[in-house]
Amino acid sequence: MLGGTLTLFLIVPVLVLLTRGLTAEFWPALASPAVQGALRVSLLSTGVTLLLLVLLVTPVAWLLARFDFRGKAVLETLLDLPIVLPPVVAGVGLLLTFGRGGLLGAPLELAGVQLAFSPAAVVLAQLFVSAPFYLRTARAGFQAVDRDAEAAARTDGASDGQVFRLITWPLAFPFLLEGLVLAWARALGEFGATILFAGSLQGQTRTVTLAIYAALESDLAPALVLSAVMVLVAFGLLLLVRSVARRREQG
Amino acid sequence: MRFIVLTVLLGGSAHAAQLTVFAAASLSDALSEVGRKFDARSGHRTTFQFAGSQTLRAQLEHGARADVYASANAAQFGPLVRSGLVAPGQSFAGNSLALIAPNGSRKVNALRDLAKPGVKLVLAGPAVPAGDHARQLLRAAEQSGVYGPGFSARVLKNVVSEESSVRQVALKVGLGEADAAVVYRSDVTPALRRSVRMVGVPERLNPKAKYFIGVLRASRNAQAARDFVQYVQSDAGQAILRKWGFQPPR
Repeated sequence: MLGGTLTLFLIVPVLVLLTRGLTAEFWPALASPAVQGALRVSLLSTGVTLLLLVLLVTPVAWLLARFDFRGKAVLETLLDLPIVLPPVVAGVGLLLTFGRGGLLGAPLELAGVQLAFSPAAVVLAQLFVSAPFYLRTARAGFQAVDRDAEAAARTDGASDGQVFRLITWPLAFPFLLEGLVLAWARALGEFGATILFAGSLQGQTRTVTLAIYAALESDLAPALVLSAVMVLVAFGLLLLVRSVARRREQG
Repeated sequence: MRFIVLTVLLGGSAHAAQLTVFAAASLSDALSEVGRKFDARSGHRTTFQFAGSQTLRAQLEHGARADVYASANAAQFGPLVRSGLVAPGQSFAGNSLALIAPNGSRKVNALRDLAKPGVKLVLAGPAVPAGDHARQLLRAAEQSGVYGPGFSARVLKNVVSEESSVRQVALKVGLGEADAAVVYRSDVTPALRRSVRMVGVPERLNPKAKYFIGVLRASRNAQAARDFVQYVQSDAGQAILRKWGFQPPR
């Protein structure tokens, strides 16, 4: 009985979002500049975020999985911190570090870099809050790779690069993919750090979540459409994670 | 004896009530002080939610419980009166706009500088009263013919963020992130004055903001709510509003 109530509690709001969002007005509202701008900003910014994650975080994950050093536990804890940190706190931290009046504000300004209110600020906010999700799963992935297989390949004369490309990477790949999907979901949902650090301007820095918030105060239609889209995307992401995880277990 | 006088003065509400006041973000400092004085006199407990008037209006329309609503313009107040959520209210304060720039930036020294390419300007969104007033200022400037054709559009091109309340706008300049912003004069509080400077705006272009206050029809403490509204309009309440930079209602 209690379980049934809880199930309804979790399912009904989602169904309401779908029924309110997926009406006859869905397509015209989807084509409106507010919705198009928000989707474009979110897709572009999260796309760049994912690219940076793969390029910058993968090597860190590999190093953490393979090497032990003094202070490693402390470092790992610090790197995981954004998972439990309230996003708005992350925003304050980014602002006080990269903002014009912040720690790195003056050097950045000298270098001609202006982060405040730019799409780059949106990416930084997303990167900060989503990186640990990818880092954790990627690290677990590299740890799960059978070291004997790598050693065997090396005995057969494979170079370090070949070992990574042909053995380590393919074996860790399902983990990396799962980590990327989780990080993407977190980046898409990012709100607190973005609104504080990047501001909110349609077509520039106003992501889907910021657009929903802005629309709720005036015209409800874009908020409903974007909410329905987010429900569908979230569902798709979860399906993807499940199928990746299943492939990994069978793999 | 004092208690009896108070009771008579405040319309006979002898028990202490919990009052919830939804008020425009620009009223944060002034109404908080009004609330403390009102509580000390009446024995009620007043709590506030400050946000953009449009946010508060949306919340009230979606069933948020409050006893008093104070809006920074008629556009976010009238619809609630027409839909019967708020009893017709009165204007209780006025305000005008201020152009502010951070102490650290010299890019904006006059209203016309807002149209210069590369200026980072922060405004409140168009639905926010402060954002609406700021756009009125730009239109008036353009119509005056002094600032050149397309002035308003050129300035709006420099907007880097549309915030959800005037205090968020003030914050962005206070932190030095933006080159300029349009807020109310009353937002340039002693705390903010440490980090920003005011840039002159011709008085004839400056739109007059008008604040409205009314009691929610669903209020469970209607008498106490009416007392609060009355206190805001009393000499004591008005003196506090003047102190925080608000003007008399006209």
